[in-house]
Amino acid sequence: MPKIGVYVCHCGENIAGAVNIEEVMNYAKTLPDVVLVKNYLFMCSDPGQDIIKQDIKEGKVDRVVVAACTPRTHEPIFRDALESAGLNRYFLEMANIRDQDSWAHWHDKSGATEKAKRLIRSAVAKVTFAEPLEDRYGDMEKSVMVIGGGVAGMFAALDLANMGLKVYLVERQPSIGGMMIKLDKTFPTMDCSACILTPKMVEVAQHPNIELINYAEVDAVKGYVGNFEITVKKKARYIDWDKCTGCGVCTQICPARVPNEYNYNMDQRRAAYIEFPQAVPKKAVIDRPNCLYFKSMEKTGKPACQICEKGIPPKGIQGCPADAIKFDDKDEYINLKVGSVIITTGYKVMDKSHFKEYSPHSKDVVTAMEFERILSATGPTEGELKRPSDGTKPKTIAMISCVGSRDERYHSYCSKVCCMYMLKHARILKEKYPDIKLYLFFIDVRTAGKDFEEFYVYTRELGVKVIRGGRVSSVDVKPNGKLRVRGFDVDLCSPVELEADMVVLATAIEPATGTEELGRLFAATCGREGFLREVHTKLYPVETASKGVFLAGCVQGPKDIPESIAQSRAAASAAAALVIPGKIKFEAIIAEVDREKCSSCGVCVPLCPYGAIKLQEYKGKEKAYIEPALCAGCGVCASACPSMAITFHGFTTEQILAQIDALAEA
Amino acid sequence: MEEGGVNVIDLTQADESFVKELEALGADELRECIQCGKCGATCPMALAGLEFFIKRIVHAANLGLRDILLEDSSVWGCQSCNRCVEICPMDIKPYEVIQAIRRAAMKVESCPANTYEGLRNLYRFGHAVYPKGYEERRKKVGLPDKPPTVISNDEMRKKFQEILRNTILEEIAPFPLD
Ligand SMILES: Cc1cc2nc3c(=O)[nH]c(=O)nc-3n(C[C@H](O)[C@H](O)[C@H](O)COP(=O)(O)OP(=O)(O)OC[C@H]3O[C@@H](n4cnc5c(N)ncnc54)[C@H](O)[C@@H]3O)c2cc1C
Ligand code: SF4
Ligand code: SF4
Ligand code: SF4
Ligand code: SF4
Repeated sequence: MPKIGVYVCHCGENIAGAVNIEEVMNYAKTLPDVVLVKNYLFMCSDPGQDIIKQDIKEGKVDRVVVAACTPRTHEPIFRDALESAGLNRYFLEMANIRDQDSWAHWHDKSGATEKAKRLIRSAVAKVTFAEPLEDRYGDMEKSVMVIGGGVAGMFAALDLANMGLKVYLVERQPSIGGMMIKLDKTFPTMDCSACILTPKMVEVAQHPNIELINYAEVDAVKGYVGNFEITVKKKARYIDWDKCTGCGVCTQICPARVPNEYNYNMDQRRAAYIEFPQAVPKKAVIDRPNCLYFKSMEKTGKPACQICEKGIPPKGIQGCPADAIKFDDKDEYINLKVGSVIITTGYKVMDKSHFKEYSPHSKDVVTAMEFERILSATGPTEGELKRPSDGTKPKTIAMISCVGSRDERYHSYCSKVCCMYMLKHARILKEKYPDIKLYLFFIDVRTAGKDFEEFYVYTRELGVKVIRGGRVSSVDVKPNGKLRVRGFDVDLCSPVELEADMVVLATAIEPATGTEELGRLFAATCGREGFLREVHTKLYPVETASKGVFLAGCVQGPKDIPESIAQSRAAASAAAALVIPGKIKFEAIIAEVDREKCSSCGVCVPLCPYGAIKLQEYKGKEKAYIEPALCAGCGVCASACPSMAITFHGFTTEQILAQIDALAEA
Repeated sequence: MEEGGVNVIDLTQADESFVKELEALGADELRECIQCGKCGATCPMALAGLEFFIKRIVHAANLGLRDILLEDSSVWGCQSCNRCVEICPMDIKPYEVIQAIRRAAMKVESCPANTYEGLRNLYRFGHAVYPKGYEERRKKVGLPDKPPTVISNDEMRKKFQEILRNTILEEIAPFPLD
């Protein structure tokens, strides 16, 4: 027979103000197996807990019901109290007579008192059938994989590596650097992006604890927090990176020219190429679909070109001096074990082609990211401002905000950084070309950030024209080749139009290609707009739905560099806190399958939101198995299993039924 | 303005040199206006229903819309109450923008006729507003027929006129300064 003690808390006036404590106590004494009932002003205080501990130590009680507030915040405290007094910590039940009772029925004191009785009765019924449970511990691999080598991924990798952890940094492109390395200057401080980022890229590459895995993607994921087994596919580079010195010879002699995606196709690269001049690692790759060797081999079986390898001897042109060309290179798959993962795969920008009203066919209509490349010294014009159509210097430029953002047809969200980078572009231009005419069309100007409003006012002082309420309705190409921009100026309260030489579209930020698929590999979910979703916006901003998988940077939603870095360092510290102890605690409140009862129907498998259930061979049959490390204790499977084969520890069927009976009793 | 777009304001016509002119004429904080609209919410011109009240005037000035500002008579409706100056969060001194536009307008003789009337009165009597028969009305209420200003002091009036002749008025006054 259990000896149940009931402890009723006043919570100051919070409970006692509505519930008649004495009446409730007298009632509790009448319940089966209840051996004592006590009360205290604040049960959670040290003296309050001491009352419980004392009773346990003296052998008076061996099951505890605390009638107080919410288990969400207070259950751990009372469990600890039980444990420290030598009782199994799961022999506790809380009756929430505050949030669910006194607060809700403050003006109905007798009703509240009656309800308190019922809640205590049901808690007593449940704790009667409580089973002792043990927390368990598993081993934790002391390494972390960071996926995406943009600014967010780089900072996370560096922090973890500096803590002494082994880090694998997986980047899809040949070089790390992400979007930031493409930017010219960066708001709000106007540092040159390449100048501040390149040293960091080098630091990442040279760090002894970081293993950089470029031109690679995650292919498959097994295991779970503490023990992820990840297969990474390293794409064939057709150049031996151990030999390649980054001299660039192949990138100059290769005859196959293709549009250069790094500069958004505004110039060309070769089939053998180094992604950009300050690439890290500075290694070349061969773009197979465009390489003449592979094209001809596929068609005729004979190589039409091997110039990068052999040069053009008659002309005295040498091929790769490091003998690094490797036409028989293959995709390579490597298996890595890590304890935790941080996803930092960033974003892409919307293409202009969606926006027919803005004459996307005109070369002089460019996206802001393209404009960023035009302004950059490493861009297609080497930083010289030129009209793409005819190479003349534009005198009037219109910039249009919120293109594809704040627009139900594309994205309902605000892309957050465009107002600021439009002002940044205006400032760069005005400082270089004081006479240039710049018209910035905004719906409204959003400059919420440290030093941002000052940046805005300063930009205005330079003579930049701000038209508000002015999402442009159309951009047309006039017969003279100029662009007619039509908008509305809410301050003039009038439609306005403008003849511009160039138009820059601040197109929306979108999740990088493949974000959803990557998330799925790890059972990390995405929101409606396709960005990876954090567990809780406020309390758990860097954790995903998947235990041990964290996120940072634009993969979670549009944000600027300061925010991306802040989030990435937060994610690094969250991952480190998990990994460094070397052990991981698994909840005792989890589901378990009785394989003898399991009928192999498999309904539970797809139901588990955490991917914890799989069918496994047991006595010659496929039976459900729940991985304790992955089970989050939600209970979905147990409620669905038609064979009642799943026990949900801490909430067994027996306990729940007893509780329901107790509640329903008249 | 093309395609019969009579109500469309063509920003291509905007003139940055006009912005610079206004800055030189006293509207030196003009560009920092963030179009918050606070001035427009207090301006008697707006309350009186004038089309171009202070906020729109400041914005049009910022854009360099010379023709619109000079053709419209709104700036002359400003009551010089200076409420806008008191409340502008960016310290633009919107009233100074009005004054700068008025100065620019005077230079090109683009102001309503009654403006000249007032100016002539100011030069002649030291008062821009000079209602006929005011002496009688003053006497009726027991005041001396003339107020104690330059109007009642010939010597001071001459000095006052001399000062005015030393201003830009000498150049632009459409009436003889004698
Ligand atoms: C036009 C424009 C101008 C901007 N100007 C500024 C500015 O001046 N100041 C400022 O603070 N912010 C600016 N920003 C925002 C800034 O670019 C971002 O805040 C920042 O780049 C986000 O970094 P990130 O690491 O999260 O993402 P990214 O830079 O996008 O990096 C993600 C990385 O992950 C890689 N990757 C993607 N998918 C995979 C995959 N499946 N597997 C492996 N790797 C993958 C990508 O190749 C990339 O290297 C601007 C943005 C735009 C569009
Ligand atoms: S084989 Fe020819 S086309 Fe291919 S990368 Fe080498 S040089 Fe370029
Ligand atoms: S940041 Fe500015 S331009 Fe970009 S979507 Fe938001 S409001 Fe529009
Ligand atoms: S309790 Fe929830 S998390 Fe655990 S196995 Fe069942 S469905 Fe998955
Ligand atoms: S109050 Fe000042 S800042 Fe605001 S609209 Fe008027 S002039 Fe501009």
